[in-house]
Amino acid sequence: MKRFFLSLSYFLSIFMLSGCWDRVEVNDIAIITATAIDLTEDNQIKVTAQVFIPRALSGGGGLGTGGGDLTLTRKGTGSNLADAVSKLQMVLPRTIFWGQCKVFIFGMGLAENGIREQLDFLVRHPEPRGRAFMFVSKADTEKVLQLLPPLERYSGEVLKELLDFNIGLSVTMKDLDLMLTSDAQNAVLPLIKVYPPNKGKMENESIPYISGSAIFSKDKMIGTIGEYETRGIMWIKNMLKDSTISFKAGNEGEEISVSPVQSNVKLKPRISKDKWKMTIKVQAEGDVVQNETKLNLMDPETIKRLENDFEKNIKHRIQAAINPLQNEFNIDIINFATEFHHHYPKEWKKVKNRWNEMFPQVEVIVDVDAYIRRPGYTSTPSGLPKNEVKK
Amino acid sequence: MVRRVKNLLKTKHINLSHSATQKKPSDKQATLTYTINENIEYFRSIYANCSDVVFRPILIGGVIQAYLLYIDGLANVEEADEQILNPLMNSSAKNTNEMMNMLENKIPVTNLRKLSTLPECIDSISTGNPLLLCDGINIGYSLCLAKWEKRAIGEPTAEVGIKGPREGFTETINVSTSQLRRIIKSPSLKMEELFIGQLTKTKVVISYIEGIANHNLIEEVHNRLERIKIDGILDSGYIEELIEDHPYSPFPQILSTERPDVVCSNLLEGRVAILVDGTPFVIIAPTTFFSLLQSHEDYYQRFPISSAVRWLRYLFLIISVLLPSLYVAILTFHHEMVPTALLLSVAASREAVPFPALVEALMMEVTFEALREAGIRLPKQVGAAVSIVGALVIGQAAVQAGLVSAPMVIVVAITGIASFMIPRYAMGIGFRILRFPIIFLAGALGLLGVMMGIIAIIVHLSTIRSFGVPYLSPLAPLKGSELKDTLIRAPWWKLKTRPHLTGEYNKNRQSPGLKPDPSKGGE
Repeated sequence: MKRFFLSLSYFLSIFMLSGCWDRVEVNDIAIITATAIDLTEDNQIKVTAQVFIPRALSGGGGLGTGGGDLTLTRKGTGSNLADAVSKLQMVLPRTIFWGQCKVFIFGMGLAENGIREQLDFLVRHPEPRGRAFMFVSKADTEKVLQLLPPLERYSGEVLKELLDFNIGLSVTMKDLDLMLTSDAQNAVLPLIKVYPPNKGKMENESIPYISGSAIFSKDKMIGTIGEYETRGIMWIKNMLKDSTISFKAGNEGEEISVSPVQSNVKLKPRISKDKWKMTIKVQAEGDVVQNETKLNLMDPETIKRLENDFEKNIKHRIQAAINPLQNEFNIDIINFATEFHHHYPKEWKKVKNRWNEMFPQVEVIVDVDAYIRRPGYTSTPSGLPKNEVKK
Repeated sequence: MVRRVKNLLKTKHINLSHSATQKKPSDKQATLTYTINENIEYFRSIYANCSDVVFRPILIGGVIQAYLLYIDGLANVEEADEQILNPLMNSSAKNTNEMMNMLENKIPVTNLRKLSTLPECIDSISTGNPLLLCDGINIGYSLCLAKWEKRAIGEPTAEVGIKGPREGFTETINVSTSQLRRIIKSPSLKMEELFIGQLTKTKVVISYIEGIANHNLIEEVHNRLERIKIDGILDSGYIEELIEDHPYSPFPQILSTERPDVVCSNLLEGRVAILVDGTPFVIIAPTTFFSLLQSHEDYYQRFPISSAVRWLRYLFLIISVLLPSLYVAILTFHHEMVPTALLLSVAASREAVPFPALVEALMMEVTFEALREAGIRLPKQVGAAVSIVGALVIGQAAVQAGLVSAPMVIVVAITGIASFMIPRYAMGIGFRILRFPIIFLAGALGLLGVMMGIIAIIVHLSTIRSFGVPYLSPLAPLKGSELKDTLIRAPWWKLKTRPHLTGEYNKNRQSPGLKPDPSKGGE
């Protein structure tokens, strides 16, 4: 009995001790849903946070938004990100909570100036997620966060959901960190723009969307590429899981669309007689979803021909992405460095320090194996008399 | 302070035994005398102020003075009139010898016992058997005519089921033993009786199957029962607490049931049942953690369903212990663990709540426990009021009042349901109580605290034993083949051996190859 009381008093003393030191009620945290980091005109770091307003969601017990804005934005400015965040806390009555922030947006200004110093705060701090997504914004970052998307609850959610469709590169904080420390030391981040609002709507009733990518040499942004080239990069990085591809069928003027295209890409580096070669082996297959031509897709011969055209199209897409990288930016963001390092460590050591000069000279061979598996629910082109169907 | 209480208890115990001995006949060997008046005088002094004890003077054959002693309501009066008073009064016996001859040969009573000592006579009267005392002999006749009002055998109310026998034990021990005997007809079903309680003299029967139950276990049960020196036993719960291995543990270490089929299944597995007069609850030792999580119906339903139900039970056991504490821990320490959309909803519904999650959880859990307890104790007429109020307290009204958040209500409700999933009430209540310290730990240390709580419980569970059997067996110590009746409920034709540790003495319970098959007959 004595022992029981003794152990009970030990147990109760937990509550008198510092036991609850990091206890924070949900009511006392400011849940950050998206963050933008940018550079001000006088070279200060400005952090804008999109904060969730719980009261806006309550009322109907979680049903419906109840009319008011779901989020608010607050900003802090300081000499670096940590300082800016502490300034941000000064204007937020609740403890800043990064744990649910899955979207970080770098402003153009900061990106061009170098993101490494500020990324350090995000990686070092225990709260921000390693799997948060990173973006570069062409538009004013503050405006992006202030957008009121008509469909989703807040703009951060829009960006996160858009990434699910594989339409742009999705780069997490961990990926970015790895890219910057990889052999090539370059990075690529998705670029976002603001979709122009529909007529008669307020300026901020719109969404941010992903359009192309921002190319980083080391941690400094040096340029952008468009959507077509971005998708080429995604092909090479094997990030494209299912997509729709339309291509011109042979001599016909019309197109055939194939979706979903399942693809598998392998990089095969080779060095022979000081000639560096990279073979990009692509395997792709898909089903026809639209046939504009008059071709009969039930004919194996036709399909074989179409597969050829399909291959050519993919090849073109990949080359379109490699061209600007090799000729314009001279930058390797497609893992060539890592591949060469893995397969030819000795040779790699020699070019390690001048890889950016070496990269444009690498000969790229694109080898595509594409198949059209199923013609879809109809055999002949729909709405076409039988005698007009071509072989 | 503790010592003082102990001392107080000691002196009280001495007082009690002292007063008890006063009422008892001064000498255990005291015998009846030849003079009826002397005997009657003695009984009158013993049963002073006992208005329910009847002294009926009669004259046998109009000559010999005699008395019939019985307790009103415990003896079958009609039978006594018909079978005893009638022949006695009309008999022609003139002297003691003739009378004794007549008593032993002409009284149509199945069980007639001759008693010579006073304590025996008192026991006979107390159990309801009328005592016949005659002048001129120092022997009392105990007539087996005890009969009292008893409850009819009914459906066991605390252990209901869909399939399986529908009879439960009653308060009368010989009805209970007869129920067991009706299931297990073999003479190797043994029933050893002993009496516990200095005042209640409660009959306790130790039942086991010879050849299956381990001798050491039977002996151990005997030893533990014989240790008990107490004024009275009103329920098997007394005995349970007095013989269990770990008196401070929140978990029951002895299974308590009111179903004869459950008792018999345990007897067949080599365990020992202890039946106590005056209560329908029979206790069974030894028992394990997992057998307390099993329901009788597991064995009557088809085995895939039983296995699934068992898993469901294990899952909800964990929920019943951990859900509120996990909720508190995650909401006060680990906000990043919740999916964003869920956290936003929870944050929104918590916005108006003025209490920390810990206080909220404790408040609701305590209220729920209060409602449960009130619901059990209340008379049926008032019971409806409790459920109405309960629905208000744990429900929409509480949420609308802004006192608790809607997710908390759901957590408490699920936890409540979960704790009722445990088929043994004593087990369920043990876990219900443990929930509270873990909520405290969660509120103080977060998931770390929850983990500490879990570890503490598991350490405790793996430490305790019930009559020598490790509580967590067959999981710890692990015995792979025994998991057939723990992890799943294997089909009957696979349950070939009795559980080891209790059934080791006589392993096989069925002949091999019982798996049904079209080729194995029927046609």
